[in-house]
Amino acid sequence: MVEYILLYILFAPFAGALALIFVSNRQPMLVRGIAVASTFVCLVAAMYLFYAYDPVKGGFQFVQKFQWSKELGIALHLGVDGIGTPLVLASAVLLFTGVFVSWHITDRTKEFYIWLLILAAATIGVFMSLDLFFLYFFYEMSVIPMYLLLGMWGSHTKKYLEMTDPEGVKLRDSVGFIFNFGANSKEYAAMKLVLFLSAFAVMALMGILLIYKYSGLNTFDILVLREQANLMNIPALGTTLDKIIWILVFFGFASIAPIWPLHSWSPVGHAAAPAATSMLHAGVLMKLGHFSIIRVAFEILPDTTRELMPIAAVLCVFSIVYGGLVAFYAKDTKYVIGYSSSSHMGYVFLGMAALNYISLSGAVIYMFAHAMATGMLFAMAGWVYDQTHTRDLPSLGGLSNKMPFIAGCFVVGCMASIGMPGTVNFIAEVMIIVGSWNKYPLQVIVAVLGIVLTMAYLFNMMRAVFYGPMSQKYSHTRDAVATVDRLPLLVMIAVSVGFGIFPMQLYDVVRSGVDPLVAKITYVAPVARTGDETGGIGRDPAPGADRPPLLATHPRALTSYASRGHE
Amino acid sequence: MTFDLTISVADLLLLLPEIFLTCWLCVVLIVDFSCPRLPHTRLAFLSVIGLAATMACLAWFDVAHVSGSLFGNMFVLDRMAIFFKMFVVGSTALVILASMQYVDRFTLFRGEYYFLVVMSALGMMFMASANDMLSLFVSIEFSTLGFYILVGYLREDLTSNEAGLKFFVLGVFAAGLLAYGISLVYGETGKLVFSEMTPTHTTGAMIGFLLIFAALGFKIGAVPFHSWIPDTYHGAPTPVTAFLSIAPKGAAFAILIRLFFVALASFKPIWVLLLVAVSILSMTYGNIVAIAQRNIKRLLAYSGIAQIGNVLIGLAAGTKMGSDAILFYLLTYLFANIGAFAVVIAVAQAIGSEEIDDYSGLNRRSPFLAFAMLLFLLSLAGVPPLAGFIGKLYIFIAAVKEGLYTLITVGLINIVISMYYYLVVVKKMYINEPTDPSPVSVSGPMKAVVYIGLAGTLVIGIYPQPVIEWVVDATLMFSNMVGPSAVVAPPLPPFGG
Repeated sequence: MVEYILLYILFAPFAGALALIFVSNRQPMLVRGIAVASTFVCLVAAMYLFYAYDPVKGGFQFVQKFQWSKELGIALHLGVDGIGTPLVLASAVLLFTGVFVSWHITDRTKEFYIWLLILAAATIGVFMSLDLFFLYFFYEMSVIPMYLLLGMWGSHTKKYLEMTDPEGVKLRDSVGFIFNFGANSKEYAAMKLVLFLSAFAVMALMGILLIYKYSGLNTFDILVLREQANLMNIPALGTTLDKIIWILVFFGFASIAPIWPLHSWSPVGHAAAPAATSMLHAGVLMKLGHFSIIRVAFEILPDTTRELMPIAAVLCVFSIVYGGLVAFYAKDTKYVIGYSSSSHMGYVFLGMAALNYISLSGAVIYMFAHAMATGMLFAMAGWVYDQTHTRDLPSLGGLSNKMPFIAGCFVVGCMASIGMPGTVNFIAEVMIIVGSWNKYPLQVIVAVLGIVLTMAYLFNMMRAVFYGPMSQKYSHTRDAVATVDRLPLLVMIAVSVGFGIFPMQLYDVVRSGVDPLVAKITYVAPVARTGDETGGIGRDPAPGADRPPLLATHPRALTSYASRGHE
Repeated sequence: MTFDLTISVADLLLLLPEIFLTCWLCVVLIVDFSCPRLPHTRLAFLSVIGLAATMACLAWFDVAHVSGSLFGNMFVLDRMAIFFKMFVVGSTALVILASMQYVDRFTLFRGEYYFLVVMSALGMMFMASANDMLSLFVSIEFSTLGFYILVGYLREDLTSNEAGLKFFVLGVFAAGLLAYGISLVYGETGKLVFSEMTPTHTTGAMIGFLLIFAALGFKIGAVPFHSWIPDTYHGAPTPVTAFLSIAPKGAAFAILIRLFFVALASFKPIWVLLLVAVSILSMTYGNIVAIAQRNIKRLLAYSGIAQIGNVLIGLAAGTKMGSDAILFYLLTYLFANIGAFAVVIAVAQAIGSEEIDDYSGLNRRSPFLAFAMLLFLLSLAGVPPLAGFIGKLYIFIAAVKEGLYTLITVGLINIVISMYYYLVVVKKMYINEPTDPSPVSVSGPMKAVVYIGLAGTLVIGIYPQPVIEWVVDATLMFSNMVGPSAVVAPPLPPFGG
């Protein structure tokens, strides 16, 4: 039964969505109950998966393979490695908490939960797909529900509703409005998000189709392709084919990550989305980009990755600085968090670009950590919006009098987002910074300054929302008192702080996924972990137990490892 | 040229579905004349029963692998013909179910409506089997004849009359082109049967084939032969539009596949370029113009042009896999399109409008119809896990194996463009608030059609393997088409198409 654990995680939300179709909206508690039950199953199974994953053995575990179409070479091939496992856990946690965060949605509750469950299940599907077809299948499937979630339950930005027209002219339909202020409407945000992501998704699909064709293996299976596909040195368009594929795949998936010039859909989308959707969106949907790049580009084109990954190292600087500065000047709570998310995703790209055992592990842990931190912040921004009906920073203030619990949690969320020691973000940030220092010192300096910037805008927002004088019109607001309101925040804080204090399981799992990958890309062998390094308690001290077999036989690997030793 | 016209009774077995349907057609007509008081819905059910029996017969043919040819190869029954016959018969039955309520609108000739629909279907069944220039011409004209009348069926409605006239004039023009093209080709090659043709690269033969392609392009509505589509689709009674947008396309593709893969196999390098051009034009034009539409039928008309462009990618691939992909894609298109039109008919019945603006808040008025429409439109756009996505991917895989990179790039960009206008409809249905919140009711047969469309769209999307196996078997005779070299990948040719 345990070997089917991935199927439980993947299909529990789908089953919940299916069951919800047959429930009436007139029974909101039943609707919520079904949503909670299905996500709880998903969460428990994901936690089991996380602790049952054997980091010593490494590789892909709990693999399931079902032939789907022989003619097209597609199989439903599921499996998780050390990179997928924590992200599956993060998705499950955010989905479970998201159900509680959206507890008070009364308009078409059933439909909301159906789309939320489909969205989350599709993202989970990406994290466990070992087949390019299904990776794309779930990826695109996770984009479409966003349209309805944003459009039906989202909110306009402040300026949109102020666009009154004294003459009764349809100002909102005018061309000028569409170009200038239409960006503040939720419909615009939803459409932009879907079209932007789909446009880049088909770019990635082109790359996938080229891999399929030029591998000549008639399969979409990543495990087969990474061993057997020979895509190098095929001339095309004045360069080589592998570079074209890599660029298509990288930018196709980096748009959702979002890397700097392709980020503009993201803050708009975050701002328009309802709280739970923002959580999932910033928490896990954006990680689909990094994850897919790792799964497709890193696995199948390791040599091209080594050659072209400096592109990401350049762009990530812009992501960090640009996102941080806009977040600093933004006047809308969700814009601040949205831009801070796109800024923080730059750290992940930095960690990925350095292609070093520590930095890539840091990047993966950062994805997990950021999911919790940003999930908390969006959940609380959503709560504040529900109570005050505004996200405008200057008009808010002093809310800690009315909602001490939320204010307290918000401080924790900000600390986590900044990377305070004691939260898992700290560990991730330190790993990225330490790991990338040798290769990209300039970027690391920018990244450290970016942390200062993060501190500035998050403290700024904290002060503007919760401290200072309170306007009388907010006297009716209330704190999160009920268990259902407090539970999601407590769960996310527990996960964030828990892994911050006891990170070794997470670290081991991630390392087991990162090690073979980095070894394959850089031909540098990982430093053998000894008993001392890990504390030496109850661990198999055999050096090189997790070293991939590739290294032992690859002459180039050994020479470069040896020459590195002389430096 | 001599025809072997001696036919045994056993040979006639191959014609059994057509003979049966012809007889049944007469029964429908006689019942209509002899019982004038009979409600027309009974006639509809009678027609559907006949079509169901035909379908059963075809299914039996398919399972028992009945095949053969008649009349000196003019009429061929192979598994591809059976596939397209089932396609036509199935879509006809669904259209009849979807039109039962609509027929109340006709003041006169309600019974004849069903007769004409089934008669057109009969013509299209012959199209699926046409293996010869003469049977091609006769069967195309036979099936179009019914449509000329059906399109103008709303006698008091000027747009319907206009649509009928437009369709008729352009259709007759296309028939003229077809006849002229056939005569040129016959003059050059001296043969009429596809498989016996050895086309020479003479100017006459080339022009002849170009004219034949133009006439068939008119049938499928590919750019630049599309100009009748929007007005005809707009003006025709909605069930007829649904019928016109699906069944003749399938039947015409049966002919196109035979023509290109059998008669013109040696011309492949030339017609690939032709098809690439037509496909790019159809996709781009259809999708871009669809953005500006305010009427749902016109939107579906332009989206249909774009969908045909997608199908032509499979034809341009020119391999067995390309033909598999065409069959598969048409099947996904059948379910999504018939479903979308069923929703349009149901909504028009309730609110009396086909404007997209009037779909505002459909989600609050009828969650079922809105959800169904959402899935149908997303399937047409090609969003997983719906059937349309698999169809598009199948076509792209077939094309990428042939190195048609330009075509695939354009196709992929068009997916995004099409997503925009489908999502605009979704926005109206789901995000906008209704002006009139009264619920929209759906009749029983209509519900059945929508459910069948939903089932097809979802099942094929989630588990397509049985359908893939079916279409792969149906086109086994094209296995010798020049396929991709699966082992050694050739160098990337310049991005020229």
